[in-house]
Amino acid sequence: MTSQQPLFQATAISKRFGGLQALVDVDAAQRPDELLGLIGPNGSGKSTFVNIMSGTLKADRGEVWLQGQVISGMPQHEVARAGLSRTFQAIKIFRELSIMENVTAGLLGHGIGPAAALERAREALDRVGLVSDTTLKAGRLGLFDQRRLEFAMRLVARPKLLMLDEPVGGLNPEEIRAMIALITALRDQCGIFIIEHTMKVITSLADRVMVFVNGRKLIDDKPSVVLRDRAVIETYLGA
Amino acid sequence: MQDYLVLTASVITSGLLIGTIYAVVAAGLSLIHGTILMPQASNGQIFLGSGLLLWLFTTQLGWPLWTAIPAVLLATIALIFILESIIFSRFYQNADRSITYLVLTLGLAQIFSGLYSGTFGKISDTFSVDPPVRGLAFLEPTPLPNARLLAFAAAAAVLCALIAFLRFHRVGRSLRAVFQNREVARLRGINTVSVYRLALGLGTAVSSVGGILYAFAFTIDLTVGWTMTLITFAIMIVGGPGSVLGALCIGLIFGFTQAIVSVFADPTIATFAYLLAMLIMLFIRPNGLFTR
Amino acid sequence: MKDLHALLILSFPVLGLFAGDHGLVTFIVGLVFINMLLASGLNLLYGFSGLIPFTFAGIAGISAYICANLVIRAGWAFWFALPIGCIAAAVVGLLLSFPAIRLRGFYFALSGLVIQSALTIAFVYFPAYTNGDTGITSIPKPVVAGMPVASPWFELLIGAAAAIGAGGVALLMRSRIGSTLIAIREDEDLCRALGIAVTANRCLAFFLASLMAGLGGAIYAHFVGFISPRGFDVLVSLNLWLMVAVGGRGTVTGPLLGALILTPLPYVFQQYSWLKDVIYGAAIIAVVIFLPGGLQSITFRKSA
Repeated sequence: MTSQQPLFQATAISKRFGGLQALVDVDAAQRPDELLGLIGPNGSGKSTFVNIMSGTLKADRGEVWLQGQVISGMPQHEVARAGLSRTFQAIKIFRELSIMENVTAGLLGHGIGPAAALERAREALDRVGLVSDTTLKAGRLGLFDQRRLEFAMRLVARPKLLMLDEPVGGLNPEEIRAMIALITALRDQCGIFIIEHTMKVITSLADRVMVFVNGRKLIDDKPSVVLRDRAVIETYLGA
Repeated sequence: MQDYLVLTASVITSGLLIGTIYAVVAAGLSLIHGTILMPQASNGQIFLGSGLLLWLFTTQLGWPLWTAIPAVLLATIALIFILESIIFSRFYQNADRSITYLVLTLGLAQIFSGLYSGTFGKISDTFSVDPPVRGLAFLEPTPLPNARLLAFAAAAAVLCALIAFLRFHRVGRSLRAVFQNREVARLRGINTVSVYRLALGLGTAVSSVGGILYAFAFTIDLTVGWTMTLITFAIMIVGGPGSVLGALCIGLIFGFTQAIVSVFADPTIATFAYLLAMLIMLFIRPNGLFTR
Repeated sequence: MKDLHALLILSFPVLGLFAGDHGLVTFIVGLVFINMLLASGLNLLYGFSGLIPFTFAGIAGISAYICANLVIRAGWAFWFALPIGCIAAAVVGLLLSFPAIRLRGFYFALSGLVIQSALTIAFVYFPAYTNGDTGITSIPKPVVAGMPVASPWFELLIGAAAAIGAGGVALLMRSRIGSTLIAIREDEDLCRALGIAVTANRCLAFFLASLMAGLGGAIYAHFVGFISPRGFDVLVSLNLWLMVAVGGRGTVTGPLLGALILTPLPYVFQQYSWLKDVIYGAAIIAVVIFLPGGLQSITFRKSA
């Protein structure tokens, strides 16, 4: 049954902040061979969901499994070690450290020796297409290259699932195209789960899309179906 | 029975007195931190310095009180504004300025401490100021030195005036606006830098008044500065930075705790309690009890 | 190359030992070495982990008092009392760090101030063990082969301890643990997302730094021969921090340089001992102002 075991599964996730119900009874799952997308307007609960999955927040109710292993309730760093890596909306890298130091940092929590780490780092940098001199300070890189670096920092640890939180934010149209190509190329490395709020990006990448509205999952289907759904159109055009 | 009455009365009166003085100094500290996000670690030294200056002006230079007191306040405020323009104003825009200010003001406190040792410290170990009123008031059942009564009344008055100012006066309101929500205050057109200066001047003046009143009620020694810093920081954290009401309530509680503890043991034990309270607050509710 | 610098700075005070038999100069040399050791330990926390530990002096004090008591009252040899003092300091330092370690920047520093103040009060108000404000006097020098260690051998021994301390920190910082601490200093949230156990690593840093504090504290007690609560209060922590900040945080040579420059200062102004506070205080302000972006750029980078 392993080939059919979902990559991740989340059941009945609920989260409340004071008076605000951020997530209400959300179910989600991803198959190993598919690229999953999550869209929704601001305030729909997307970020909260991602934070719960990565262990940054604890859900009030519900559970999350990663390849059959319970990860809900684990602290962030243990979730990352279990194989669920995430990126942030605002680019987060070690600006003052060199590119190579950034990438090898991705292995510091995973118990890999320095020689193997260097090897993996070069491999990861190759995969993301970052060709700059690795002794450069990471903060000197352009925006798109910084995103590439972020990916390399995650890939180096060979995650099972990579959650990308609004990866095209701040990129120009040409860069967005390159990003889409890059993400597509990474599909054979690990499972990918993208959170976005632009329809276009999601529909060109995802095999399946979930739409969140007001903390609930509105629909969960192929992009072509989602695009034609009445409620979705209302949400995005009526909002 | 009479003994218990006397004891209780004495605990209540000394608790009220020291509590209101704590509250006054803590209010000054809290005002500054709440507005500027500056933990003024040299506030206790300024408190001490005010008392020392008053001693200098009255006892050594022979000035009458109505000259000496304004002189002390003026000197203190002038000093703080000089420090503000040379040092403090550089960091108004920094996001993490609290830690910067903490270390800065600790360095400042060390300078003051050294200066006091080198000047006042060479003259004497303790300093007493002649209070404006003498004699005892015979309130049942204990006699009270009038000086202490005056100090308490004045401290209470200062606190009430401060609370009223913050709540009802236009300028005071803008101060509160800044410490409740910096961004909104700026959008509403409140000039945050002049508000910062106001808070600094007002807070320092208030602490200075605390020092003057303390000098009337007690004898000063050079360790009082650090002790006051510690206690008022604890009051500020527990009460909540920016809350004068918090400073008042917690100040009084600490004052009473000290008075009660003094009956059985060394009052420094009370300091342990304050520090513990402060630590607990830092862990569970760093914004203190009285701030929303 | 940097190691060479470190060795040079470490050897510099040794010159003082040859400058005639001035008791004061030899004494200062010993103090410089002790401060080099202590500052290196503090650097582990401040320079490499991004935490300003105001409790550092208090922890050194714990070791000093334990060691002095074991030697004077229980008649232990210094060499046996020393490890006990160090381990006690390390354990206390670790325990004291637990609750605070989750606090961010400013609140962590504040809690450190509180704990340090409590320690100073404890030193004063448990006179049974500490002799209160008066302090403990006549702490004997360590004995080797029946003879108390004499100058200049004692100072050289302390110098060796400083060298070992600095060397240990250097080795640590080149290891994976070192890289981890630096990453945590740069952005702790990013570290967690990458699978790094931030809290556990910080606790380790605390344990090791406290060990060094304990070593320095015990040596201080037996070198100076006298300890009191004032010797281990907030200002001492602050001034050790100053040494690291002046010398250059996050480097191995920084604390060595800072200790070398700042330790002799109060003795230059022997008559005006109060001047030391003024100078140190002014140096603190200068360091904070003239470092770009103030302290915030060189302490932990709080994530946006």
